Amino acid sequence: MALANILHGESVRFQTPHGLSWDSRPNDIGFESEFGDGNSFAFKASLNSGYDDGLEKKIEFLHGTTTLAFKFQHGVIVAVDSRATAGSYIASQTVKKVIEINPYLLGTMAGGAADCSFWERLLAKQCRVYELRNKERISVAAASKLLANMVYQYKGMGLSMGTMVCGWDKTGPGLYYVDSEGNRVCGDQFAVGSGSMYAYGTLDSGLRKDLTVEEACELARRAIYQATYRDAYSGGQVNLYHVHSEGWTRVSQDDVLKLHQQYAEDKA
Amino acid sequence: MATLSVCQPQYGGFSFENCKRNALLETEITKLGCSIPAARKTGTTICGVVFKDGVVLGADTRATEGMVVADKNCSKIHYISPNIYCCGAGTAADTEMTTQLISSNLELHSLSTGRLPRVATANRMLKQMLFRYQGYIGAALVLGGVDCNGPHLYSIYPHGSTDKLPYVTMGSGSLAAMAVFEDRYVPNMEEEDAKQLVRDAIAVGIFNDLGSGSNIDLCVITKGKVDYLRPHDQANKKGVRTGDYKYKRGTTGVLTKAVTPLGLEVVEETVQTMDTS
Amino acid sequence: MLSMHSYDDNGKMKDYHYTGPVQHRFSPYAFNGGTVLAVAGEDFAIVASDTRLSEGYSIHSRDSPKCYKLTDTTVIGCSGFHGDCLTLTKIIDARLKMYKHSNNKSMTSGAIAAMLSTILYGRRFFPYYVYNIIGGLDEEGRGAVYSFDPVGSYQRDTYKAGGSASAMLQPLLDNQIGFKNMENVQQAPLTQEKAVQLVKDVFISAAERDVYTGDALKICIITKEGIREEIVPLRKD
Repeated sequence: MALANILHGESVRFQTPHGLSWDSRPNDIGFESEFGDGNSFAFKASLNSGYDDGLEKKIEFLHGTTTLAFKFQHGVIVAVDSRATAGSYIASQTVKKVIEINPYLLGTMAGGAADCSFWERLLAKQCRVYELRNKERISVAAASKLLANMVYQYKGMGLSMGTMVCGWDKTGPGLYYVDSEGNRVCGDQFAVGSGSMYAYGTLDSGLRKDLTVEEACELARRAIYQATYRDAYSGGQVNLYHVHSEGWTRVSQDDVLKLHQQYAEDKA
Repeated sequence: MATLSVCQPQYGGFSFENCKRNALLETEITKLGCSIPAARKTGTTICGVVFKDGVVLGADTRATEGMVVADKNCSKIHYISPNIYCCGAGTAADTEMTTQLISSNLELHSLSTGRLPRVATANRMLKQMLFRYQGYIGAALVLGGVDCNGPHLYSIYPHGSTDKLPYVTMGSGSLAAMAVFEDRYVPNMEEEDAKQLVRDAIAVGIFNDLGSGSNIDLCVITKGKVDYLRPHDQANKKGVRTGDYKYKRGTTGVLTKAVTPLGLEVVEETVQTMDTS
Repeated sequence: MLSMHSYDDNGKMKDYHYTGPVQHRFSPYAFNGGTVLAVAGEDFAIVASDTRLSEGYSIHSRDSPKCYKLTDTTVIGCSGFHGDCLTLTKIIDARLKMYKHSNNKSMTSGAIAAMLSTILYGRRFFPYYVYNIIGGLDEEGRGAVYSFDPVGSYQRDTYKAGGSASAMLQPLLDNQIGFKNMENVQQAPLTQEKAVQLVKDVFISAAERDVYTGDALKICIITKEGIREEIVPLRKD
């Protein structure tokens, strides 16, 4: 599989079917419980899927992050928080959850931090190879499908990622939601993570097609801020990107504490 | 039921009201990957030794919660009666309350008999209580004292079994401490030798068992005299921090400020000294 | 005592009561405690670790530092399962040698960090139970710290604590180095003396409260002159 092919040096074990490493239920070898400390902005349910009885089974319960992206007349706005949690411990407040795949493609990070960064790095390679082979840039649809197909091979083995692939291609702005369960959805706006509901609240109330770039940025910033305010698993800074016909630009990075003070002043 | 018991003062004894509910909660909550709160258990080294004219009890002073030190200088040698003391290991609350209860009952007993209680009495009361609760009271004890029959030393296990021995150890550091006893114990020791032996046994527990630590407490009981040494020795010197971690005034941000004046009436009062001549 | 055994292998009080069926299974991991810490300055980096190796309630070794020198400008701190720490450092060392033979130069700390990430992710479904922190100098000679999770997610930081007492050290470092939760303070750049003194102090404090941290502290100070090592005694109980 893809992982094995890429990591030939590192992963001898991947090629020789190894009873433990191929077990479809990672919990059986007993490390999951004592060792749930990999940084995550996780899908909790997907980690347990397959043996969890009832209740949480089909619910895509994301936790530990807030990411959002939406299309508008001038392209796509991507905004994320920057907190990484390992259980109830805040492992980091300075995570870059927007992964710069190439100058006109962005991916976001929700779920397992290592899963997202690894597979999107691999996607970056695949996209570059596509460019060299076809003498044209890859479409957002194709890029997202490459990612979805790669992680689909590992379905049920415990991968955890919920990502949005954002970019600009011949057809204009592109926005796809891809997750480790195998979903790949095209849409106009998405929010992923435990704080997504709060972000949707702000987003839905202010989203119009005719927003200016400044208005759209402010809306996204506000949405992430509101999510960090209510969701304990989100916080840190708000990282903001704008994808337009020339590729992406990094708009701003704001500490949520500063934003909180600023919004409080505006209200007063 | 619940409202009734809240209104009425409790007359002693255990309440089992929430047992069923907690058992149900536990099964539900473990499904969600959580656990119900656990009682504080002390990884401990406690021990005792009989010498020529009395007993020496010893204990470390560390209390842990999981793998974090909760108390660096807790007291594990409990008072039972003027001539009997008891070291406790296991669930901290259980050792505390069990020794208090037996101490109280023995006090009543000695008031009615007009004599000092015997160690054997304390031992039997403890073991019968612990046996009745089938190990659910997690108290592992080392009981020592001097009575009209001379010095006695018992170890009592949570299920109610007891041993009467010249030297005993208990707790997570018991094996380390027992090694010292097995090596150096001789019958009819002098007091100073016995104290040194117990100190060393506890020190070995402190250094080699992660559940035990900090200081060494001793309790030397001889006929008509109790020497409660707390702390007897400091096994480890605390490191010296060289940095300055004082903050200037105004470092902490203030979100809101509210001043509530207290409506106090200031009364002038003079004290007149009473004529006592 | 008779046939009763009050404490199990780990010295924990045994459960006497029948609590239902128990499923026994192969457990490939153990937790050996230990704390690592790395701090980056303008022209130096510090990697420090305690030297205690423990399991359950017992101490296996009092002299087992968790900092491993990789190159002249890079040191890695590994804590978690000691077996995996040894395997991992062995693999990294081998890969560094291979790199040196084929490229005739040492790997930079940034490159080592990227390599370690893929090594860790290669075991995504049977991970190394190791918390890694790399400290070193980057190409410009500035201090760099890279922190990892056990499956290879990594980022560059200026300071990071990992291992059993990480939750005790990190907040203090956030305050003292990151100047978090403070107002009206001048954010003076971190000097080497201040950093070393801070590292010593936080470990002395951690040894007070974390049972897995103690015995001694090994500090590796990485500058362009080389790596200087310092050993400070800690509590031994």
